Amino acid sequence: MVDDAAQLYTIEGVAAGVIMLFTAFVVLSTTTIYAPGDTHLSEMQLEQMAYDALAMMDTPDSYGAESDLTHYIMTNNATYFNAGFLKYMGHSGYGLEAAAEMFPDEIQYSATVYYRDSGSGTVESYPFAQSARGEILGHEPAVTATQLVYIPGRPGSPPGNVVDNRQQIVLMEVLVWRG
Amino acid sequence: MARMNEDGQWIVLMGFIVSAGIFFLALIISQSTLVGQTTAEAVIEFPKTEIQDLKTEVSYQTTVLINSYDELTGFDPNLLSYYNNYIADIKALTMARQNAVVDVTLPAEIYSTTYDRTWLHRIHYNNGITDYNQNETVTVLK
Repeated sequence: MVDDAAQLYTIEGVAAGVIMLFTAFVVLSTTTIYAPGDTHLSEMQLEQMAYDALAMMDTPDSYGAESDLTHYIMTNNATYFNAGFLKYMGHSGYGLEAAAEMFPDEIQYSATVYYRDSGSGTVESYPFAQSARGEILGHEPAVTATQLVYIPGRPGSPPGNVVDNRQQIVLMEVLVWRG
Repeated sequence: MARMNEDGQWIVLMGFIVSAGIFFLALIISQSTLVGQTTAEAVIEFPKTEIQDLKTEVSYQTTVLINSYDELTGFDPNLLSYYNNYIADIKALTMARQNAVVDVTLPAEIYSTTYDRTWLHRIHYNNGITDYNQNETVTVLK
């Protein structure tokens, strides 16, 4: 006859093992480990979106045509640049045929144009556009996106006469942050 | 002679295996902090967009220059001086704003057949962390 005297002890041992595993699972699944590397994910996304927006604006409609960004810099049109850039960043209320603003304007930017002065060989800059809210507030770090832009001459004023009147390549640098 | 009591050995063994598993998981979680930080930083630091932008601008201007080539007179002198200016602009701007050294060579003819001509030019980009070199050949029908 099989001796069943220790059956209760065995079942108790199995139950204790199951309880241990369940406790470990609960502990591990309820605590979230926030790795410091995770902060860079939102920065990387913002930088990629900003670069994509600039690259789209610097792409002409057909080969040899003038791109939107070239046109905005030549005419120094910050309003159209603001509309185009925020439209590509996902604020659909900023199209030129804008209706109502559909997204909160949490993305802010500051755009600067850098150019080379061929006489002195130095790199100068002038501020080009800022986001409409205008406050320099932010809780997240800012990222920059740059784009080399070809312009066929001197941009309109301002900045006017400080820039050489020649075909050149300038750098449009946009500092973007969520605020 | 007293017999060894072998009851419960299985439970003890299972408990030992479970605790070893928990220890291993604890090691993995403790290292995830450092791994996440360095991996994300490496991705952020690679200048992918700068290099793509540089390649786009340079290849467009180089194509314009190459298309102006005439066997007797070489490159159009106006376009050649514009091209040199563009390269000087790019060098100064990338050094000033991206802390990168850029070098672009003039296209050099490396091969010529009856029907087409092949040009080689090099792009070099170095921002101290990433060193990028590219040899590009362009073949143009005569």
